Amino acid sequence: MDGLDILKKSWNKDDPNQRKLSAKDIYPMLHKKSSSIAKTLFYISIAELVFWIIVSFIPYICSDNYKERLDKIYDSEHLFTVMTILSFGITILFIYLLFRSYKAISVTDSAKKLMENIINTRKVIKYYVLYNLIVFGFSLFFGFYYALHNDPETVKNIANFGPTEMTIMYLILFGFSALLILLFWLFYKLIYGLLLKRLNRNYKELEKIDD
Amino acid sequence: MNKELENNFVELLEKHQNIIHKVCRLYTDNYDAHNDLFQEITIQLWKAYPKFRGDSKFSTWMYRVGLNTAITLYRKSKRRVTTQDFEGVEFKIKADEYDDTEEQQLKTLYKAIHKLNDIEKALVFLYLEDKDYREISETLGISEVNARVKMNRIKTKLKTLLNP
Repeated sequence: MDGLDILKKSWNKDDPNQRKLSAKDIYPMLHKKSSSIAKTLFYISIAELVFWIIVSFIPYICSDNYKERLDKIYDSEHLFTVMTILSFGITILFIYLLFRSYKAISVTDSAKKLMENIINTRKVIKYYVLYNLIVFGFSLFFGFYYALHNDPETVKNIANFGPTEMTIMYLILFGFSALLILLFWLFYKLIYGLLLKRLNRNYKELEKIDD
Repeated sequence: MNKELENNFVELLEKHQNIIHKVCRLYTDNYDAHNDLFQEITIQLWKAYPKFRGDSKFSTWMYRVGLNTAITLYRKSKRRVTTQDFEGVEFKIKADEYDDTEEQQLKTLYKAIHKLNDIEKALVFLYLEDKDYREISETLGISEVNARVKMNRIKTKLKTLLNP
């Protein structure tokens, strides 16, 4: 008789060391908060949406100076409106995709399907973060470019720079932007990596069985 | 959610709680973790209960949710059912059923099972629940043939773990 068969014999018996819970013990459990990874993922996603929406839109509303600069950069009211609508549209699309994929997570699916749906939700938010980092990267680049060419104060400061100094400055600025974006990206990788480490491991294990 | 639904659910859960305890016993190795996982499974069951249509048995539906929670959704949390919750409650140790040798054997077995990975534990659970390979494959989302092959490998692995 192998080990599992020994266990099978006593499997359906109540464990004598296990306290049987009464209805009185169960009722309060129903009202406790879940700490499942699907819920945590959802909260992180919402936090990221809110964060990037604030980052993208607050400057437009709060700073006149920023608005003026943007007007100068785009040099066209029309282009600015198009960019704003596009930006809003993309954010709404991501919100829709996020809710749709979150809704698809069902605890009664097969284990593999459940894992796939959670991974899909994580993918939606990953693309949203990636999109924002790209926009952020471009904004930094154009911001620096604008400052170096159009901002009277900066132009005055760098008037005496020779070609080597200008190259070094561009390299520093480029390096700084890349580093900032990289740090953001690593931060996200870390958050999701930690959260979904076990899920990813189990998903790979399931895939391995069917290979 | 209305009170009647809640009462029905609690009544069913109380009756079938052993299924959750069995999942917890395979996936946790201490009292606090057991209670924590038990609670998370209960929450997931309760959340999914309004969609339970009764076309499958409550116990079948329960072990699927239980396993999915243990394998996928469960995240060790700071929220613990404190030991205070259990104060004043007597443990039901039935002296006449107590068998030291069997108890020892089972302890060793559980120790070996705890060394398996999460998916292997799920297969062990379903095997112990006497589920056929069609049901095992549907629950985990793998093919029937591969579920059978994997189960045989797990049995060999357990033998090695028990007789190193």
